[in-house]
Amino acid sequence: MNRFILFFHNTGSPPWFYRFSGKLIPWLWLGFAVLTVIGLYMGLFLAPPDYQQGESVRIMYLHVPAAWLSMMIFGLMAIMGFIALVWRIRVMEVLMISSAPIGAAFTVIALITGSLWGRPTWGTYWVWDARLTSELVLLFLYFGVIALYNAYDEPRKAARAASLMAIVGVVNLPIIHYSVLWWNTLHQGSSIGTSGSGIHPSMLWPLLIMAIASKFFYGANLLSRARLQLLKQDHRKRWVRELL
Amino acid sequence: MSHTPFILASYLISAAVLLWAALSPMFSQRALLKQLKNRQAHMEKEQ
Repeated sequence: MNRFILFFHNTGSPPWFYRFSGKLIPWLWLGFAVLTVIGLYMGLFLAPPDYQQGESVRIMYLHVPAAWLSMMIFGLMAIMGFIALVWRIRVMEVLMISSAPIGAAFTVIALITGSLWGRPTWGTYWVWDARLTSELVLLFLYFGVIALYNAYDEPRKAARAASLMAIVGVVNLPIIHYSVLWWNTLHQGSSIGTSGSGIHPSMLWPLLIMAIASKFFYGANLLSRARLQLLKQDHRKRWVRELL
Repeated sequence: MSHTPFILASYLISAAVLLWAALSPMFSQRALLKQLKNRQAHMEKEQ
């Protein structure tokens, strides 16, 4: 069998996934730690203050990666949910539901840091502007997926219901992304796009490094949560007994 | 207006949220494994 296909075939096996992810997690944490130290050093000590925002621009090195990741995780949850519904791969169900608390955590960070940036820059912590409101809706969607999953006793039924909610909820992602174009919002438009960036490299690099670091965090945390979820579901199975 | 309190609060709150996210599955897994090991030992003792 092709090695690539074999890898995906193996991924569907909980014992194999448990062992493989156990080996991967320390490397992901290491990547996160190294990139975070570099990103924070560049962002807090090397990057200059912004000519308009002043020192508060340093909040951007947390806010922007968290906001990007909050959207990316929900998108991935919808994809994983779709795969779980169509092909009934249990590891995908576990990965989908394990992503939800991490996505919620990054949405909370995006909202709080955005609010703390807004006070010195806009003069207010919060406005019911389209970008902020749609991001808040994203947080409620994460809570909804988690609550729906916990409402069922049977984990596979719960995962199917939560997957469906993630697929339906994905409609909020283009609303968040295009809100700054579709409505007249206080939140500024994108500074980084496919056509390039309007940010000076001294500020862009720490931002990109922090964005990559946050992906490493997601990877490591997701695998840790998925392993826990598999242990809970399979605690009566032989592979778990052998593990003990 | 000094921006320092806002920057500090952002970094501290984010660190707290990330620490919770990172540590909670580790503690839960440790507790679950301990519980499963105890149960297995108890079952083996009964046999």
